[in-house]
Amino acid sequence: MADDHWGALMVAAQTGDAAAYRRLLIEVGSWLQSYYSRRLPSSMVEDAAQEVLLSVHAKRHTYDPAQPFGPWLAAIARYKWIDRLRALKDSVTEELPEELAVRDHGEAVQTAHVLEMLLGRLRPAQASAIRLVKLEGLSIKEAAEQLGQTISLVKVNIHRGLRELSALAQEESHEASGPDR
Amino acid sequence: MKLQALIDELTEDLAPVRPRRLWADVAIMTLIAVLELALLFAVGVAHLDMHRMLTQPTMGWRIVSLGLIAVLSGFTAIRSVEPAYSARGPLRWLVLLIAVCVVSGMFMGAMPRDLAGVIRALDWPSGVDCAAKIILLSIAPLAALAVLCRRGAPTDLRRTPLLMGLAAAAWGAFVFVFACPFNDPLYIVVWYGVGGGAVTLVARLVLPRVARW
Repeated sequence: MADDHWGALMVAAQTGDAAAYRRLLIEVGSWLQSYYSRRLPSSMVEDAAQEVLLSVHAKRHTYDPAQPFGPWLAAIARYKWIDRLRALKDSVTEELPEELAVRDHGEAVQTAHVLEMLLGRLRPAQASAIRLVKLEGLSIKEAAEQLGQTISLVKVNIHRGLRELSALAQEESHEASGPDR
Repeated sequence: MKLQALIDELTEDLAPVRPRRLWADVAIMTLIAVLELALLFAVGVAHLDMHRMLTQPTMGWRIVSLGLIAVLSGFTAIRSVEPAYSARGPLRWLVLLIAVCVVSGMFMGAMPRDLAGVIRALDWPSGVDCAAKIILLSIAPLAALAVLCRRGAPTDLRRTPLLMGLAAAAWGAFVFVFACPFNDPLYIVVWYGVGGGAVTLVARLVLPRVARW
């Protein structure tokens, strides 16, 4: 880690220097990819690195210019890594049922209904961001304009919303596959 | 989305920010704590015979013990919202300090010798009232610490809430000392412990949800 160099770039970024910030994110991004490639399955590396970059962006005011940048970044990367591990531990790998391949319009309607119900249990900001970007196909920028949120906030809302949605879906499926009473 | 595209968007979204200052947060928390204490005196619920109360050894013990715990745990709690700060060591020292304070209090007065004496000393209706008032007085500092926690970037979501609960509870109890008419060390350890413990437990259970980022 190039502590002082990154610290200087972050200090410049805190004052609004976009060029320094871009350089910092590029260098930090590649460090994060190498950090997570040793700790997570390859399919999760990119997502984890992106999540940390979003966190660095959202929490950049918590970096103290008097302190080295390396431990600050490493602490955030580790925090997010533990979060990922927890999510990995919680996610259940299930064999897909054969009926899944059969086209069934009724099933689609039911799925849409269930999805709407689950979205209704998310925070409104998260549900709207997911609806606009993931269901209606708007770009992040368009969704941000429509919702009156910053781009990074929309991303955070989508990311957290999807995570929560997956937890809710799991909860529902556990309840549905529970023993008959 | 590719990493490069995200970097482009984050760069576009960049706005200047003012770095968090530890001493500014400490100053804000101190102000809130002092205001609460001043309010207690202003509304007239503090002891009327404060001079006489201050001469009692248990009063000094309460003020010093709770003041120390509140200041040290409060400072550590504020520091613990920094991502790279580890509260593990300071928390151990705080637990030791609490144990020393409790034990030293036990030497301040004669302990009841039988169960009836213990029940009399505990005076549970007044005790429950005292514990409830401590909880009430802890709400403002706990809320202020929760806001700091939300604005900061804590990476230890077990110890940071615990420290915040401890700091808020100790401050609530410290303020209450100036209005509490009881002096028995056993009563104080038990009922202040109940009030403070409840605040710490609530903070430990609720704050991780607020602090998650």
